[in-house]
Amino acid sequence: MSKTFEEINERIRKGEAVVVTAQEMKDIVADKGAKEAARRVDVVTTATFGPMCSSGALINVGHPSPRIKMSRATLNGVPAYAGLAAVDVYLGATALPEDDPRNAVFPGAFTYGGGHVIEDLVSGKEVILKASGYGTDCYPRREIETAVSLKTVNSATLMNPRNGYQNYNVAVNTGAERPIYTYLGLLRPRMANANYCSAGQLSPLLNDPHYRTIGIGTRIFLGGGVGYVFFPGTQHAPCGPRAENGVPRGGAATMALVGDLRGMSPRYLRGVSIAGYGVSLAVGVGIPIPILDEEMAVFTSVRDGDIFAPVVDYGKAYPENTGEIIGHVSYAELRSGAIEIAGRRVRTAGLSSYARAREIAAELKTWIARGRFLLGQPVERLPGAESGVVLRKLEVRR
Amino acid sequence: MIQKSVILNFPRKLVDEPLVSRVIRDCDVEVNILQASVTPEEDGHMFVIFKGEPANIGRALDFLKERGVRAILPVKNLVRDEERCVHCGACVGQCASAAFTIDKDTCQVVFDPDRCIACELCIPACGYGAVESVSDHLKRTGEAS
Repeated sequence: MSKTFEEINERIRKGEAVVVTAQEMKDIVADKGAKEAARRVDVVTTATFGPMCSSGALINVGHPSPRIKMSRATLNGVPAYAGLAAVDVYLGATALPEDDPRNAVFPGAFTYGGGHVIEDLVSGKEVILKASGYGTDCYPRREIETAVSLKTVNSATLMNPRNGYQNYNVAVNTGAERPIYTYLGLLRPRMANANYCSAGQLSPLLNDPHYRTIGIGTRIFLGGGVGYVFFPGTQHAPCGPRAENGVPRGGAATMALVGDLRGMSPRYLRGVSIAGYGVSLAVGVGIPIPILDEEMAVFTSVRDGDIFAPVVDYGKAYPENTGEIIGHVSYAELRSGAIEIAGRRVRTAGLSSYARAREIAAELKTWIARGRFLLGQPVERLPGAESGVVLRKLEVRR
Repeated sequence: MIQKSVILNFPRKLVDEPLVSRVIRDCDVEVNILQASVTPEEDGHMFVIFKGEPANIGRALDFLKERGVRAILPVKNLVRDEERCVHCGACVGQCASAAFTIDKDTCQVVFDPDRCIACELCIPACGYGAVESVSDHLKRTGEAS
């Protein structure tokens, strides 16, 4: 027996839908079996919360009198891309103020950047806009300096080109000399620690490994508000190796996400300062998965022990882009606090907040159970394992 | 009598209120102000040492919380800002003395001050500014206001 999106939405509207979190679904399937679970459960909520560098905000600040066509703009000193129409800017999460010392004194602290400006905006704070233009007949103004906030701008849209990676690397440093500072945190030499970044069994794309229900048009929880999947994310690479359960054994699918910054919350949208690396934005994402049939019940019953991530040396293999993998470990091992690599016990730490992912899954469950949030049926599927879409390397040709 | 160092963060609407006087007078707690930045129209920050009976210090902290002041109690030169913490666990991986651990049930990061050896390796590991040294915290909040 199977259900359609429309049937499930009808049940949500009537307040009759059975909604459970991905965590709860594991036990329901273990208890009742996938067939019975599929009959009982309508929606499973999945979630993740972690630094997602490929994020940013598209803001239309409004036209001043006289008008300006901004060609350079900063928000609280952080440069935003202004190569768009007159008063549109795109503020990237990893952008840094011109005068940030960066890694001049290593490791740099990166105390404030694009991710923090976005957090300030969603916190309701005013930020200082400084912009200049070259002046035209229709846009005569050449300079502007003023304060803007989510209340004053015409629109502020969180528009993230790559979020919610389906699985990710576990980072170690096999070098003997010094600790290294990476986007996966501080890695001490001789493989003294390992860092990972995924919500594992709670993570959206790991619960829908073949993108049967998550696609273009899926309505989601984004940063505390409502958002949508609008395209496959950049570096979407669904054709890599998969385990028997269909789950990729390394980074695979990604999603491009969009949503109104108004209505989001700093609890789920946080600036991050990563020592020696730069700034980023931690994004909270929650995605409902409709249990259309028994297969979706099986997919959403996946556990940390059945999901494997590649261990990669960020001292050499990653920066030099050799593609070398030291081995695979499961998220159950990773979350236990230590993994075994090459016969050695290595302590682990997660950079993705499992606690906050659980909170988001529970929050989204409440939204749906109260009839406040309907499922968006994809208008187009994300390219899958059979698509032939591969990750290309950039060749240096001269 | 005990002593407790406390960082107080006042929202700007409270800057006009004589809160420290009330702590001294109503709660019978001595207050030694080590650093203060309290300016009209801006959020205020203060680093103080409370001295008094434990129950009275508890009353003082309750009173301040009730008025909307955020009090942070540093431990061994560390300021752990619970509101900034997202419970990712990056600190746990660097903490050799197991002062930072992840609670198995809640999946939240918990801090046991008694186990902390003040090595401060957690500070650069935290991307959210949820663990800072007292001096860095005062510098940052002072700059922000």
